[in-house]
Amino acid sequence: MAKATRPGASEDLRLALPSKGMEDATLNFLAACGMSVDRSNPRQYRAALRTPAGVTVIFQRAADIFEKVDEGSVDLGITGYDIVREHEHEDDAVEVLYPELGYGRCQLVLAVPDAWLDVKSIADLAEVATQLRAKGSELRVATKYANLTRQFLYQHGINYFNIVSSQGALEAAPTMGYGDIVADLMTSGVTLRENRLKTVAGGTILRSEACLIGNRRALAASEAKLQRTRAIVELIEAYLRGRNYASITANVSGESEEAVARRITAHETSAGLRGPTIARVYSKVGGDLPWFAVTIIARRDQLLPAVEQLRKAGAVDMTVQDLHYVFEHRSWHFEALQRQLGGARVQGAGARERTASSVASAAAASELPTVVSS
Amino acid sequence: MAEAPGLSRVRGTNDFVPPEAGALRLLEQALLAHVALYGYAPIATPVLETTDLFLRKSGEEIATRMYAFTHWNRRLCLRPEFTASVIRAYLQHLQDRPLPLRLAYSGPTFRYEKPQRGRYRQFTEVGGELLGAAGPAADAEILQVACGALESVGVRDYRLTVGHLGVALQMLAHLGIDERGQALIVGQLEPLARKQADAAAVVERVALLLGAPTEAADEDDEADDEAALGDLLARVGPEAAAQLATELLHHASLPLDGGVRSPAEIVQRLLAKAARPDPTPQVRTAVEFLQRLHGLAGPPGEALGRLEDLLRDYGVSPEPLEEIDAALALFARYGARPGQVTVDLSLARGLRYYTGLVFEIYDDGPDGPLQLCGGGRYDDLVRALGGREAVPACGFSIGLERAKLALERHGALPAPAAAVEVLVVPVEAADHVAAVEAAQALRGRGIRVELDLRGRGPSGALKHADRQHIPLAVLVGERERAEGTVVLRRLSARTETTLPMADLPLAALVALGRGNGEVHHG
Repeated sequence: MAKATRPGASEDLRLALPSKGMEDATLNFLAACGMSVDRSNPRQYRAALRTPAGVTVIFQRAADIFEKVDEGSVDLGITGYDIVREHEHEDDAVEVLYPELGYGRCQLVLAVPDAWLDVKSIADLAEVATQLRAKGSELRVATKYANLTRQFLYQHGINYFNIVSSQGALEAAPTMGYGDIVADLMTSGVTLRENRLKTVAGGTILRSEACLIGNRRALAASEAKLQRTRAIVELIEAYLRGRNYASITANVSGESEEAVARRITAHETSAGLRGPTIARVYSKVGGDLPWFAVTIIARRDQLLPAVEQLRKAGAVDMTVQDLHYVFEHRSWHFEALQRQLGGARVQGAGARERTASSVASAAAASELPTVVSS
Repeated sequence: MAEAPGLSRVRGTNDFVPPEAGALRLLEQALLAHVALYGYAPIATPVLETTDLFLRKSGEEIATRMYAFTHWNRRLCLRPEFTASVIRAYLQHLQDRPLPLRLAYSGPTFRYEKPQRGRYRQFTEVGGELLGAAGPAADAEILQVACGALESVGVRDYRLTVGHLGVALQMLAHLGIDERGQALIVGQLEPLARKQADAAAVVERVALLLGAPTEAADEDDEADDEAALGDLLARVGPEAAAQLATELLHHASLPLDGGVRSPAEIVQRLLAKAARPDPTPQVRTAVEFLQRLHGLAGPPGEALGRLEDLLRDYGVSPEPLEEIDAALALFARYGARPGQVTVDLSLARGLRYYTGLVFEIYDDGPDGPLQLCGGGRYDDLVRALGGREAVPACGFSIGLERAKLALERHGALPAPAAAVEVLVVPVEAADHVAAVEAAQALRGRGIRVELDLRGRGPSGALKHADRQHIPLAVLVGERERAEGTVVLRRLSARTETTLPMADLPLAALVALGRGNGEVHHG
């Protein structure tokens, strides 16, 4: 066990994790990133990360984590992006440190009764809303996401509706009669189907997955907390990037290292990220030409094309290894956070989306990574 | 720990402190005074309204920008503009009054928009509505009241853009685009004109919202089935179709009871939908037409002729052009002096109730154009809000904070008069009652008086008067009290006169340059 953390110590970074629903997926994700949660008893709601040291973990309802981070009773939190977008406001203290953690994916969708044979798109729904209004009624939309739903309907030219806020089983709303349609989270669509509901084209309000958020003021105020946050963000970034790459090692015979290198780099996919590493193999079987071990880092989605190109370059004995972490020469997400904490702070929800996309594009244009093999 | 919740202003709102607040008030009063010259009587309506009042038409673009909330199950909002409120008040109180009615207003309005230069989330509108008058004479009057009011406070060389919703609405109706579609397209006019939106993207988006088939739907078997069902039902004739579909729903045991929509309604709409063509071509034609309108914008002399040719090509009535021509001709006779008049038929304004001539007034500065005023004709609004009969109407509204910005950038914002004209100073505490008497005598003649409450004594008080640019001081001491006199001191001339208390008000008026005893009220 790592150095014992002192729960509640003031410089400890407090990380809130979802206690239900996303709990297992979150613990698995963190463990995969190299940050196992050390909890003596699964019913305890406080725990600690083994590494990095000095991080207290507090389990809370996913729906509450945004508020907890905003009010500063925890410093970081992992929760759904849907919750962030529904609860955010201009003066909140919440910064999205990592918008897409790659699990907990779901969509906030509008769903109508199966019996509404005539409704298959958002345009149909708009017309139905207008017709209901004309006969003195109103489209009732049952949802836990009043803000996102209202904004979405307004943006699609639908003015006549009534939001019925409900925390209960939304999919039952039309059957039970307290809502005509629902705006609810969907992962597989099974629950909707079982309740005789269907989605409508163009009716996806938001795509969501788990994300890492932090309290801007708390992180700006404490260098110790900021450095622990950096460790967490770095490990997540390197882990998520690592999933996109694999290392390929192959044996190639040739006149010299240079000759082999020329053949390997002749094609983009077999050249790997920056270029091959080549080492002499002291072959147990004799031959005309010496053998060389060639290692390249390839994008996972380019794995088979890379193998094919290596074959064409004369490669044999190709082995592929997962890369546990891929570190770049800098941490894009942490630098984005530093920029947000530094003077030029852009406010509002728009800024939040901009931050996420600028991270993505910066990363896309980034230079080559440092690789840590598993 | 998080910081304690701050006591800062809400984003996009302003604090105006002295003397800025005084300047703003002065400007507001000057604008209203000018509007009153045309017989517009003040009307005051609440800041708080029902949300419904502003969302009467489907597709109202203002919906996303309103401060709307539910308070004890009632949907309320802070008014985003005045016109709908004024019409509501007209319907509730004034329908029996003889027309036309001329009404003037000023007050705070609220819109949730991205704050930037001259755009605030709480701003002040000063405006007027002319109810019950149709035609170019009324349009010209509104143009004149708006321009005249701005000129009266010192706005020069402003730019006036005039349009007419009649052309776009005629074209959209002609293309069979419904109210919501009209709202969606008209709402895209401004982004299109400002090149913030791409025409193809606008066409796609609007068509999709009006029910154009989507690629996603094509891949969806279920959606295809529904389309096929619609086709099938359409083939067997309406009555048989309705029966068939109802039975179908019944056999599929889809829950129908208790829903807001009856099976008959669903079937009816399904049939209507199957018979309806893809709206994309109509939307494309409309957007192209509106873009061409914008392309022909220019000074009235050139633009009106070119536009007439275009309207003829499209078979759209040129009547709106004649209305613009007539209104501008009459407007010119009022003697207003805009820097430049442009006719632009793609001018749409942000609000969806306009039906006829519309206009916007801009001030061009080094940091770009600033819209000071907007207005136009809305002949359908009274009926839409439940009026007994249609009442032709038009109006305008000036953004007070923007008018102030425009005047500031031209160095033409009038400074408010000094808040205090006379400082009355008791020499000692015992002199306070006599000082109150002197102050009240002055106030009785409309002079703005500050009474020294801090016991500064003569020298401290005079220093204070000097710093605050108070032109006169009145000193009351033990000797003056005994003699029934006061000392009147002119700060700039550094001269003092002792005079009987009874003579003080007149002497002060003369010293303030307000003539011989003429009473002014600040």
